[in-house]
Amino acid sequence: MIELLASLIILTIGAALSYKDIRISLVASIVAVLVMMISGNAAYSAMILFVALLNIFSLYAMRQNQIAGLDYALVAIMAIATLYVFMVDNLAMMLVLFMVVSAPTYLLVMVSDKNLNVDVGIKYVTFMVIATVLFIIGAVLLYSTTNPLIYSLAFLMLIIGLSMEVGVAPVHEWVPDVFASADPIPVSIIASLAKFVPFIIAYKIIVATATPSLWPLLVVVGLIAAASMFVGNIGALTTNEPSRILAYSTVANMGYILATFVAVTAGKEYIYFAIAGGLLQLFVNSFGKVGYFASIKSEGTSPITAYLLTFSFIGLPPLMGFWSKLFIIYSLVYSQFIWLAVILVLNSAISVPYYIRLARLLGTGWKFNLTSAVVLFASIAMLITLIPPMWFVDLVSMMKGV
Amino acid sequence: MSEMVELPMMAELLALLFFTPILASFPIAIAWGMHPRPDWARKLPVLSVAGLFVSLCVALYILFNVGELSPEAEPIKYTIQWLPEFNINFVFIFDYLSKLMGALTAVIAFLIGVYGLEYMRDDYRLGWYWFFFNLFTASMLLVVYSDNLLMLLIGWEGLGIASWGLIGHWFRDDDELSYVGILKRKVAGLNMFWSPSTGGWRAISTIRVGDMPMFFAIGALFALTGTLNISEIPWAGLEEKIGVAGVVILLVAFLMGPFTKSAQLPFSEWLMTAMTGPTTVSALLHSATMVAAGTYLFMRLSWYIQPWELHLEGYEYVYVLVLFLGLISSLYAALVATSSLERKVLLAASTMSSLGLMFASAAASYWVGKFAVLVAFWYLITHAFAKASLFLVAGHLIHETHDRFLGGDTEVARKLKWAFVATVIATIFLSGIPPFTAYWVKSGMDGVLHHLEHEFGLLPLALLVTISAIYSGFLGKFLSMNFFKGKKVHLHLHGGGIMSAAYLTMVSMLLVILAAILTSPEEPFSEFVEEGLMASSFAVGMIVLVAYAFGFFKPQIKSPLGQFFGDRMYMMFLNDYIVPKIGWAIAKVVDYGNRLIDFTCHQAIPGMFEIYSYGVRFIQNGKLERYLQIVVGFVMLIVVVAVAAGWIA
Repeated sequence: MIELLASLIILTIGAALSYKDIRISLVASIVAVLVMMISGNAAYSAMILFVALLNIFSLYAMRQNQIAGLDYALVAIMAIATLYVFMVDNLAMMLVLFMVVSAPTYLLVMVSDKNLNVDVGIKYVTFMVIATVLFIIGAVLLYSTTNPLIYSLAFLMLIIGLSMEVGVAPVHEWVPDVFASADPIPVSIIASLAKFVPFIIAYKIIVATATPSLWPLLVVVGLIAAASMFVGNIGALTTNEPSRILAYSTVANMGYILATFVAVTAGKEYIYFAIAGGLLQLFVNSFGKVGYFASIKSEGTSPITAYLLTFSFIGLPPLMGFWSKLFIIYSLVYSQFIWLAVILVLNSAISVPYYIRLARLLGTGWKFNLTSAVVLFASIAMLITLIPPMWFVDLVSMMKGV
Repeated sequence: MSEMVELPMMAELLALLFFTPILASFPIAIAWGMHPRPDWARKLPVLSVAGLFVSLCVALYILFNVGELSPEAEPIKYTIQWLPEFNINFVFIFDYLSKLMGALTAVIAFLIGVYGLEYMRDDYRLGWYWFFFNLFTASMLLVVYSDNLLMLLIGWEGLGIASWGLIGHWFRDDDELSYVGILKRKVAGLNMFWSPSTGGWRAISTIRVGDMPMFFAIGALFALTGTLNISEIPWAGLEEKIGVAGVVILLVAFLMGPFTKSAQLPFSEWLMTAMTGPTTVSALLHSATMVAAGTYLFMRLSWYIQPWELHLEGYEYVYVLVLFLGLISSLYAALVATSSLERKVLLAASTMSSLGLMFASAAASYWVGKFAVLVAFWYLITHAFAKASLFLVAGHLIHETHDRFLGGDTEVARKLKWAFVATVIATIFLSGIPPFTAYWVKSGMDGVLHHLEHEFGLLPLALLVTISAIYSGFLGKFLSMNFFKGKKVHLHLHGGGIMSAAYLTMVSMLLVILAAILTSPEEPFSEFVEEGLMASSFAVGMIVLVAYAFGFFKPQIKSPLGQFFGDRMYMMFLNDYIVPKIGWAIAKVVDYGNRLIDFTCHQAIPGMFEIYSYGVRFIQNGKLERYLQIVVGFVMLIVVVAVAAGWIA
C-alpha cells in the first residue's frame, strides 16, 4: 500500500507543478508508474508500463492541447489502477478501480491540439455512464444474490455494461464516431490502456460468482461475441479510412476477447488459457492501436513497422497476435464451444484484406519524429512472443482472484 | 516355380536388346534437327536399322539358348532389383511365348526397317520417324519379356506414344495419299475422311480410354496380392478375396487395355484410321507390335492364370465375354474388309478380324486347356508374317501407283512380279487353304471351338467357319483387285529392289513355319497336323478355297449392303460424334460448375460482404438519439433473454 500512496503523492505534486513546466508532470508521471511497478508482478507490470509509456510519450507529441501537463497524470493514474487491479479481489476496490480508469478518458477524449471535441465527448460520456451503471449494478447483484433469475439478469447486465464500455457490437455505436472524429492520440489511449481494467474485473467477478447453471448465459455471451466479430470485421472490410478501419477492428477484437468468457466454467487450466488469451489479445490490440493511431498522427510510417503490426493482428506466428488467438481457440475448443472457435478462425480470415489495406495506407514512408518512435516501439513489442508465451499463462495463474 | 539357371551376361544382353535400337536412332534424330541439316543425315537411318539388327541377334540368342523351347518348359526368370521393398522389380521372363514372340518382333521389325530404308528415303521427317520406329520396337520387346506388370506398363505406354508419333507422322496433312477415306465425302454431316493428325489423335485417345481402367486394375492387383509378377500372382486366391463380381470387374478393367490396343469392338475405329501413317508403320503396327500386344498380353495372362485348372465362376464370365467379343469383332471386321475400297483399310479390317479370332481362341482355353492358347499364339505368328508382307506389298503398290485405292490389272502383275508373288503366297497361306500354313493352325482352331459344343453348341464353330470363308474371300479380292481385275493404273516404276527383298524374305518365313509344322513332332505342331488331317477340317478348307476363288473371280459386287460394310457400319459415329458429344456435355457441366464457383467467389460473396458492410456502417449517422435507441432496445432484449434463462435455471 505504501507504493500506492507514494505514487499518488508524486502524481499530485507533478500535476500541480505542471503550470510551471509540463515536463515536470511528464517526469513525475513516469516516476509514479515506476514506483507502483515495484510491488507488482514483474512481467505484467513491465508490459503495462510499456503501454503506458507509449501513451504518455504520444501525448507529448500533442503538448499544445487544452489540458497539457494534466494529461500525463491522467494516463499515469490509469496505469497505476491497471497495475493495482492485478492484486485485488475485493469488490469495492475493483469497482473503484473501474471508475478510476474510466473517468480520465471522459476528459481525454475531448482534448486535441486544435479545438475541443465537445460533440464527441458527449456521445462518449453518455455511453460510458450507461455502461458504468449497468456494470456496477450487475457486479453488486452477482455478489449478493442466490436467486437464479436475479443472477442471470445481473450476469447479463455486467456483460452489457462491459460491452458498452469496451465497444462490443451491437452496443458499439460510439466507437466508429469517436475513433473517426476525435484526435488520434487520445483515441489510442482509449483503445489501449483503458481496456484492461474492465476486462480483468469482469473476469474476476464472474470467476468468483460462477455457478454451474451458467451454461445458457454463456451461449448468449458467445452469440454476442460472434456478432461483434462479424460486425467489426465486415464493417472494416469496405472502408478506406484508417481510423474507421481501426474502429471496426476494435469492435472485432473486443469480440474475440469477450469470447473467452465462455470458458469460465471449464477447468481451472482452461480458465488460465482463456484469460491469458484474452489479456494477450488486449496487449496486441493496445500495441497495434497505439502504433496505428500514432502513424495516423504522423501521417505515415515505415512499411516494415506497418506490416509488422498488420501481421500480428492477422495472427502470423511468431508474433503476439498468433499466440493470443491460439490461446483463445484452445480454451474455446476445450470448453466445448467449437462453433465459436470456427467463427473466430473464419473471422481472422475475413480480416486479412483490411489489415493489409491498412498497412498499405499507412506504410507510406518513415519520418524522424516522436510519433514515429512510438510506432517503432509498438511494433517491436509484437515480437515479445518470440519467447513462446507459456510464461504469460503462468503469469495469469498468479493473478489474485482468478 | 522357375528353375535356377545360370544366365551369363544376361544383364548386358538385355541392355543391348532394349537400348541399342533406341540409342541407334539418336544420331538421325539429332542430325535431322540440326540447322542447317547436314548432307550425311539421310544416310544415318542405316545406323537405326543396325540397332534393330542387334536386337534381332539378341532375341534369336534368347530363343535358342535360354532354356528349352517347349510349351511344357518351366519359365526362366531373370530379376534386376528395382523397388525390392515393394516386391516390384524388373523381372524378365523367358518362356515359350515370350521367346518366340520376342524373336518374331525382332525379325519383323528388322525386315520392315530394311524396307523403310528405301520406302522412307525422301521423307521430310526422318529423325522423328526413326526415333519412334525404334522406340516402338524396343517398347514391344519390353512388353514381350516382362513378367512384372509395372515394368510391362512402361513398354505399354511406350507403344502408345510411339504409335501416336508414327500414325500422325505426316503431320502437315498435305498429301492426299496419306489420308483415309474419300476426301470431302460426308455422311449425315460427319466427315468420312481422316487426316494423319486426326489418325494419331484417334489412336492415342482411344488407347488412353482403355489404359486408365488397366492402371487401376494393376494397382488393385498389387494392393490385393502384394506382387505384380504375372507368373506369381495367386490368381486362384483372388476370387476368394474379392468374390465373383470383384474378379469380373478387376479382369474386365484390366482387359480394357488389351481390348483397346487390339482394337476390339467398340474400340476399332482408331485402327482403321491408323492407316494414315507410313505403310511401314502400318505393317509393324499390324503384325508384331501394338495390336499384337493386346492379344499377347491376354495369352500370357491365360498361360499363368490357367483357368482350365481353376474352374472358377468369375473367370468363366470373363472368358465367355472375351470369346464372344472376339468372335463378333472378327465377324464385323471381316464384313467391313469385304467392302473396303482402300488397300490398307482392307488389310486393317482383316487384322482386326484376325485379332478377334486370337482373342476367341485364347479365351476358349478356359474349357479346352493350354492347347487353345497355343493355337491362338501360332495364329498370331502366321498372321504376323503374312500381314506384314501384305502391308509391305501394299506400300510398294501405293509407292508405284500413287494411289491408295484398290486398283491394278495384269500389267501390274507383270511389271511388279515379286510383289505379285508375295501377295499370292501371303493370301493363300493366310486364308487357310489346305495344305498351306494357316490351314493347319486354323484346323487347330476349328478343333478348339468344336470343343465348346457342350457349353455353347455349334455357334462358335459356325461363326469361325463363316469368318474364315469371308476372310478368305476378301483376300482373294485383294489379289484380284490389285493384279487382275482392278482399274487400269499408271505405274511410276523406280527402284524397289530393297523393298521387294524385304517382303519376299518376310513371306518366305511362312514357308519356314509350314515346314516346321509338317516335319516337327513337337507340341503343338503334331496336334495341328492331327487336326488338319481330319475330314471336317478338310471340308472347312474346301469352303475357304471356294470363297477365295469367288473373291478372286468376282471381286466387286455393287450393293447398298456393300456401302454399309464399306462405311464400317458407321462405327465412326461413336468415335467422331457420340463420344465427343458426351465429352462436350461433360465440358459444359464443368463449365457451369466453374462459372458457379466464379460467380460465388467473385460476385456473390463479395457482394454479400459489401452490402452487409455498408449496412453495418449505415447505422452510424452521428445522431446520439439513434444510438441510444439501439442500446436501450438491446438492453430490453437482453433482459428478456435473462429472464428466460433464469427461468430455465
